[in-house]
Amino acid sequence: MSLDPAMAGTAASPPRLSLHGWGTPITLLAAWLLLIAATGIYRPDFLSHQTLLAITFTMAIVGVMAIGQALVAISGGFLDLSQPSALILSSLVAVRLAEAGLPLPLIVVAAVLTGMAWGCCNAAIIVFGKLNPVIVTLATNFIGLAALFLVFQLAQAPLGSGLHGLGRTAHLGLPAIWWPMVILILLVGFMLPRTRYGRRAIAVGGNKFAAKARGISLRATRFAAFTAAGGFVGFAAVLFAASSGPFNPASGNNLQLNVIAAVILAGISLAGGRGSLWMLLLSVGFLSTIPTALVFFGLSSDMQSIFQGFILLVAVAIDGYRARRNTP
Amino acid sequence: MMRKTLRAAAMTAVAIPAIVMAAGAANAQDDTFKVGMAVGGNPCCDWMKAQGDVARALAEQRGWEYLELSNNNDPAVAVQNAQIFAQEGVDVVIQFNGQPSSNPAVAQILGAANIPAITYDIAQEGMYFVGIDNLAAGIAGGEALGQIVKERWNCEPDLVISAEGAVAGIVNEWRTGGMRTGLKNVCPDIPEEKWVSFESQGDAAVGLPAARDLLASHPDAEKMAVVGLNDGGVLAAIQAAEQLGRAEEMIGWGQDGAFITGDNVNPHLVGSVFYFLEGYAVYAFRDIIDPIAAGNPPPVKWEAGDPASRVEPCPVTAEQAAEVPDMDERVEQLLAAPEGTTAFELFCPTA
Amino acid sequence: MTDAAGPAAGTAPHRPIRDLLTGSVASIALALIIVVGIGLLWVGPRFLSFSNISIMGSFLVVPLIVGAFAGFALLAGVVDLSIGSMVGFSSALFALLLTLGWDPWSAGAVTLAACLGFGAINAIAIVGFGADPIAATLGMLTALRGMAWVLVGAQGSLFAFHPGLFAAANQMVFGLPLLFLIAIGLTLVAALIVSKTRIGRHVQAVGGDSKAAARAGISVVRVRTAALLLSALGAGIGGIIFVGQLGSAARATGFGLEFQVYAALMIGGYSILRGGVGNPLGGALGLMAVAGISNMLSLGAISPYYVNIIVGLLLLAAVLLDRLRGGDSYE
Repeated sequence: MSLDPAMAGTAASPPRLSLHGWGTPITLLAAWLLLIAATGIYRPDFLSHQTLLAITFTMAIVGVMAIGQALVAISGGFLDLSQPSALILSSLVAVRLAEAGLPLPLIVVAAVLTGMAWGCCNAAIIVFGKLNPVIVTLATNFIGLAALFLVFQLAQAPLGSGLHGLGRTAHLGLPAIWWPMVILILLVGFMLPRTRYGRRAIAVGGNKFAAKARGISLRATRFAAFTAAGGFVGFAAVLFAASSGPFNPASGNNLQLNVIAAVILAGISLAGGRGSLWMLLLSVGFLSTIPTALVFFGLSSDMQSIFQGFILLVAVAIDGYRARRNTP
Repeated sequence: MMRKTLRAAAMTAVAIPAIVMAAGAANAQDDTFKVGMAVGGNPCCDWMKAQGDVARALAEQRGWEYLELSNNNDPAVAVQNAQIFAQEGVDVVIQFNGQPSSNPAVAQILGAANIPAITYDIAQEGMYFVGIDNLAAGIAGGEALGQIVKERWNCEPDLVISAEGAVAGIVNEWRTGGMRTGLKNVCPDIPEEKWVSFESQGDAAVGLPAARDLLASHPDAEKMAVVGLNDGGVLAAIQAAEQLGRAEEMIGWGQDGAFITGDNVNPHLVGSVFYFLEGYAVYAFRDIIDPIAAGNPPPVKWEAGDPASRVEPCPVTAEQAAEVPDMDERVEQLLAAPEGTTAFELFCPTA
Repeated sequence: MTDAAGPAAGTAPHRPIRDLLTGSVASIALALIIVVGIGLLWVGPRFLSFSNISIMGSFLVVPLIVGAFAGFALLAGVVDLSIGSMVGFSSALFALLLTLGWDPWSAGAVTLAACLGFGAINAIAIVGFGADPIAATLGMLTALRGMAWVLVGAQGSLFAFHPGLFAAANQMVFGLPLLFLIAIGLTLVAALIVSKTRIGRHVQAVGGDSKAAARAGISVVRVRTAALLLSALGAGIGGIIFVGQLGSAARATGFGLEFQVYAALMIGGYSILRGGVGNPLGGALGLMAVAGISNMLSLGAISPYYVNIIVGLLLLAAVLLDRLRGGDSYE
């Protein structure tokens, strides 16, 4: 799994197409299709446009946040635990600007900049304090959420604003907020192993000593990775504010587990250096299908956590087993 | 390493008792009446903070001391807060405990300290009950929605959706279940398979994905009526229908009136039931705390059906709600009103 | 990796004054004394009255016990994020069995056995298959939360008020809660095991450098498995105590406890990312410092949200201090 096709480019050789390394996408796709088929056989009306809409709406926000989380992981930053704070802060900015009557493009820019500023703060503490990102973002999330509670209780995109409309429209039969998620994953997934900055991030995540020896600035790479990751959370915040209606400072908390699960299930190593963003389309899709399928089976939504938890556990166990076999 | 840790521990161990000795002289008890208030602290609801603000203002109007703690929506914190109230020598406690699972322990602790306690909305033996009869409020809302279902659809909706909120425990059963009962009172013949539920967690944003999944699993339903724990939960279902392009014929009736005032009322939220939660302290002070302060404590009536002070539910349609000011404005007017005037008397358009 | 604070520290030359001023336990002890000092100045002498210490103490029982046990997993280099959900699951199962009429002893035994079973699944995934501990226990966190919620049922809470248990949980000895004293005793035992016994040195060695430990003939598999089982056991005990203290289990029981406990343990010198560092005593002092701050804000009637702002800042300060002392630096 360490050699999936998109990653082959990092070894400075052209992408090789071979069956080896396709384990993760094939397993994921098979599991996803199996879930869809099983539910479809049990309840044929599962295979409908309504189901597709329900799943794709759920995918959008998680997918964009997962891009940010994946960038942090691939570049060796382990995890960004402060995504919920960054999401709500940027959403609040988006809502306030929508209330002031600003056009949607400006709102998007402002929310993304807010997210980037948040990521930049994280990076500054990490880089200048030489502190581990997991602990730093755990702390900034504590601080951020508490501060948000002191600032506001409830916010929502004004009815009739462009922001509100964005969360309720569809293009080509799929949600307007779903398309940017797909485009961003495809684009970033394509660029990461093929651009200088992307390759630097992967190199730093894979082996920082080797990367440093090659003259790559660890500090600059960290700043870039966390700032970019924050930007994606800022963009996810636009989709969140557009589609979620009234939200409070805690409304983003339960997205965190889904996002991290999607990244891990996509085979993106938390240890850094390997993984393809394209795989997020499969993992986010699979994870977003589970709750919908459970409803068709008539199971309570509490069961959803049990399934997702054990799927995650099995996936990381398999991943660990493979990694151990490859590196004796 | 052990020496080091032992030394450090010794430092602490010596320092603390030394200071405890110094602390021996407890602070002198003064005679000022002191009210303790534990607010709910659940991030879901802005009225929880407002409940504290109103209680503080009423205590200050009377020249009393006031100590506010937050239950932080955590059962263990609610118990700790009860202990703090007992220690701080408050004369009466008001609480809203959104995690009522710890209510027996809270009642035990305050009872042992002989502190009269008032609990909002969720009854607990041994505590004065102030609040709405949740079941009655649920039924009132359900009947109002039932009238619309009867007029528009001749009591033949395709689906009746319940936006549950299991975290609220028994309150959810009363309100959401009560709304179902009220609806059945008007439309008794809606078949069993038309009644479906999803877990909204009482939060419009958090409950949204589950609502979409539920709607997808009933793809043919068009005429849909929504009941639920609160406006937020009902709104989750309405927004899900908007996103799936099926809101055209959806009507929702909420509870608590959180999203039925102001400029951003969703057109499919056709009504709600105001409790004016922010103003409960007026009842608590007028009927219980003022008499206690005057030395005539009333009998402890703790059952929701026979409360120490009853808050009347105020079912309103969206048109009627348009004339009700939003919460911040209501708090301001309530505090400016003559003593003992309730928010129900001031603002309920159907009173 | 500069590992001065690791297992080698036990054999380092003994410099009491320097250790006193620079050790990680010393700095958290100092921090706690500062917290107490501020509390006395601001709240007044009643901050340290027996009654106030009892209030903090009974609130601290579960975090102290959960932290003392989970500390072994941190020390062995296998962080267990599932402890919060494990507490929730344990309290739900225990309360459910009580409501079914079981006596507390057999209900407790079955509950702990179930927790050990899930701890074993963690161990199989992490030690057996080599799964990343953060990712694997995140999965367990999610799964156990779901199970706890299913057990608690549609009402959202299970009332299992047991007068005997409530009395036991609130038993006072010398003016302090008995369970608090037991939790402190447990912490001291854990501290002794970590710093005085061969087992403790093995755990630190495995967490500090597992390959070197394996070369030295220590069974990494056995140590890490035992550490994960202990962590699950501690959370199981915590859940049972919650039922005794609160008289119930609810969906919110244990929710988010893992990060509250780990933040305090890290303030006390542990690391969730690097084994071999930390001491149960430091962890307990960290928990006490946070509880003291929270209590001070309550008595001062300050919004509780400031607690988390202070905890976040303290956490950053603690890891920065650890780094300046020669701990792990991240580049």
